[in-house]
Amino acid sequence: MNLRPHHLLVSSALALAISSCATVPPGPPPEVVRLQTQLDRLHADPRIVDNAGPELNNADAAVDTLARNARSLDPASLQQGVYIADRLVQIAEASALARYEERRGTQLGIEREQLLAANDRATRVIVATEPTRVVTTRTEPTRVVTTTTEQARVVTSEPPRVVRTTGELMPLGRAELLALQEQLPGMESRLDVRGLVVRFGDFQFEPNRATLMPAAERSLDTLANALRAQPDTRVSIETYTGINDASLGVERARAVSDYLDARGIDPSRIDARAAPVPAGSGIVADRHVDVVIRRN
Amino acid sequence: MRTAHIFLMAAAFAVSATASAADRRDAELELSQALTAVQTAEREDGARYAPADLNEAQAMLVTAQRAFDARAWTDTAIYAERAKVSGDLTVARSRQHRAEFATAEIERSVDALRVRLPNGGTP
Repeated sequence: MNLRPHHLLVSSALALAISSCATVPPGPPPEVVRLQTQLDRLHADPRIVDNAGPELNNADAAVDTLARNARSLDPASLQQGVYIADRLVQIAEASALARYEERRGTQLGIEREQLLAANDRATRVIVATEPTRVVTTRTEPTRVVTTTTEQARVVTSEPPRVVRTTGELMPLGRAELLALQEQLPGMESRLDVRGLVVRFGDFQFEPNRATLMPAAERSLDTLANALRAQPDTRVSIETYTGINDASLGVERARAVSDYLDARGIDPSRIDARAAPVPAGSGIVADRHVDVVIRRN
Repeated sequence: MRTAHIFLMAAAFAVSATASAADRRDAELELSQALTAVQTAEREDGARYAPADLNEAQAMLVTAQRAFDARAWTDTAIYAERAKVSGDLTVARSRQHRAEFATAEIERSVDALRVRLPNGGTP
């Protein structure tokens, strides 16, 4: 076999070229393929696609640019491009899921308000003012025990009372608070010894913040309207948080107070404070703000 | 817009790579934007909701600052860009987890009301 040196060189060059072609597979490198696969997964997820913002476009463009240019980049540049594109893909996913949850939260908030209104209708008792004075008896304080014959006497100067449809008698102030409660559909409220208590749960604030959620602002708008129509009432804002969240409680009380102030409720009618005792077990779910309304 | 800027930077890195070295002015700008992004991530409760991403952003920022002190402008730009995009990711994750937390709370409240009401509250 007549093998000349230049034939050997050409053969070697060809062999090297073929082997180098064999070790460089066509298409983008594996790390870019991984990013493309992640993007495909995002595009197949309706939660992402329906809530995608510009972040998904940015991620698409970044990965596409990388895929087209990856083979011509030096390792350091490719590494940097993969790092940035990978974060952009994750940002796209997190942003879309955040929007998805926010929309779901808004829908649930509306449903919750409807359920609370239904609950009110199921349990509320209509209040009516009793047109005539009521004659009743009252026991004198014990300091007048020397005049035992006068311990029980007829009182005819009692303030007007109201009667519920159930026939239950109650003081006028309590009845007016019940009437006020009628104007707060969809809000969690009840009458107790403190007065009319309107409760704002922890979920009505941004987590671990004093920022009111939109549903809470709508409720406070309604409450402010009702309070403007009842100038004889005072408002105490009591926040309940864990021992370690005292400052959060103060900030939330101030947020509610400021909101009512901005809606035309005279600040002199409002007393905002953080309750000193942690509510319940002190867990986050127990955090709440009570807006207590009572007559002057 | 920061995200768009990030994309442009990513594209720039991908296309022209580090062949064209950054100068001091570029490095300062990148470092300043990275610092803002990391501070925003800290304010958004990143330590609570996305601690790993926040740690990454802070570590990259420290590396970028060291590179800047060593007058390595290109390295400063590279690590600052990483800090910035990691800070943005922290913010996005914090928003996601906050939303999930708040929605779960409302869902629990709705479920409790459904149980309390006759017919699950359906009219």
